[in-house]
Amino acid sequence: MNAVIKTTNLTKAYGKHNAVDRLQMNVLEGQIYGFLGQNGAGKTTTIRMLLGLIQPTEGQIEIFGELLRKRQRDILRRVGSIVEFSGFYGNLTAKENLMINAKLMGVHTRNAVMEALEIAGLEQESGKLVGKYSLGMKQRLGIARAILHHPELLILDEPTNGLDPVGIAEIRRLIQTLAVERKVTILISSHILHEIELLAERIGIIHEGKLLEEVDMDTLKSRNRKYVEFQVSNPNSAAMLIEQYGINSYEVLNEGIIRLYTHLGEQGRLNRLFVEHGIEVSRIAESETQLEDYFVRLTGGVPYV
Amino acid sequence: MYNLIWTELLKLKRAKMFLVSLIGASAAPIMMFIGFQATLAEKPAERITFESSFYNTNLYVLVLLGVLLYGIITSYLFYQEYAEDTLKSLLTIPVSRVSLILSKMVMLFIWILVLTLTAWGLTLILGLIGGFEDLSAQLLLRTLIQYIVGGTLLFLLSTPTIFITLIYKNYMPTMIFSAIITMGNVALANSKHRVLFPWSAAHSIANQEFVPDYPPLYSYVSVLGTALLGLAIVLIYFRRTDIDS
Repeated sequence: MNAVIKTTNLTKAYGKHNAVDRLQMNVLEGQIYGFLGQNGAGKTTTIRMLLGLIQPTEGQIEIFGELLRKRQRDILRRVGSIVEFSGFYGNLTAKENLMINAKLMGVHTRNAVMEALEIAGLEQESGKLVGKYSLGMKQRLGIARAILHHPELLILDEPTNGLDPVGIAEIRRLIQTLAVERKVTILISSHILHEIELLAERIGIIHEGKLLEEVDMDTLKSRNRKYVEFQVSNPNSAAMLIEQYGINSYEVLNEGIIRLYTHLGEQGRLNRLFVEHGIEVSRIAESETQLEDYFVRLTGGVPYV
Repeated sequence: MYNLIWTELLKLKRAKMFLVSLIGASAAPIMMFIGFQATLAEKPAERITFESSFYNTNLYVLVLLGVLLYGIITSYLFYQEYAEDTLKSLLTIPVSRVSLILSKMVMLFIWILVLTLTAWGLTLILGLIGGFEDLSAQLLLRTLIQYIVGGTLLFLLSTPTIFITLIYKNYMPTMIFSAIITMGNVALANSKHRVLFPWSAAHSIANQEFVPDYPPLYSYVSVLGTALLGLAIVLIYFRRTDIDS
């Protein structure tokens, strides 16, 4: 897959402080990329640089294989975005607000505005003044605006900011639909781990301006899969026994610990098996490393907010 | 550019500021009319001419009211994108930063012209109601040109106000700046140096009232120099500034 977004040593300095520090990001075509980091980690600064709102201090950005600083206008025509809270003209209706964007984007299709409102579930509210919209409705309208011109890439900065759980679920469904039905590449930033976990196929973790890791969710899941540990008196005999039992996915660790990744619901039967063969079991523990544990480990144990 | 101007017009739909500005522009002719009526009440034999009515109203508009009122609508137009948090979505459409500034300036010019014509039209209507004397087609044409030239010059002098709005992203500094300019106009009103101060020079140019000490060119240079310098600073600043709030 081609990289739709590629940054090389992307840096933004404010005085002596690097808000974004030599960022190497790769967002692949067709993927939902979760950009994860605490508040103030550098997510929004990065996204504003990707959209040409902020000039990088150093480094370069390639989108669709072209340098942003050279072809910014052409590139941005193929991109839809939400940057933090979606701003609209409160004295205009939702339809009028989108008409402004349609006109400036060169979208001449008569139904484009209503189609975008329909996808966002706002067709019934199209004539209402945006000043009277709830925050959730504004965020949905923000997505309608972002997809109005059928972009190939969506850059969404904290699109669920300030929403209640129902609103968050609605936005999530909307993003998933766009990814599946329109095959749009999506970069979504969030500080909510659970949201990213539910949506993203690949994640990038940013902390204090540095991109600590980029990893596929599948890899992460396999790396962080559930397991059950037995602390036994004779790990070699225990290993032979479990192989005879039909378990191949296991690891023997230090201090007599044997870690099994399958047959997780059979701790009791396995315990009896060990005991019957003269192997003492001093501890049984079930564990599951979630994205949150992984994140905390990666960022140096900083409590996550 | 046409699309940008169309969208600027749409943004004013249902905006209370437009109505408020019309009321503001009506203040000068109404106050002037009340003043003339008070004079007539005291001295019934006094002749009130359309000439003096148009002149005095335009003087008030250009020297006092216009600077403040046009300052407010300038900051409204340019601050609006920050207040509504819409600037980032406009620039990522993408809309060129220079085009955005220029389209807003066109909108400002249209708005100022509407207010100028409102003041002129209301002066005429109130003069007819009050039975003012010496109305002629020649006078109407001459005063209309004076009003439009004055309005256009104040529009050109809006560039420093635009810069202050972009820098501070707030109405208040613009109001303070406009108040200072107005005070400068008042302070120089009876001085020969009024033809050098850009905002009071606008009135001198509109009415072709110069002083023997300085050639008219100085007034033109003062206004155009301020306008162009302001525009250059606005464009350079806005093109380079990060949109980070």
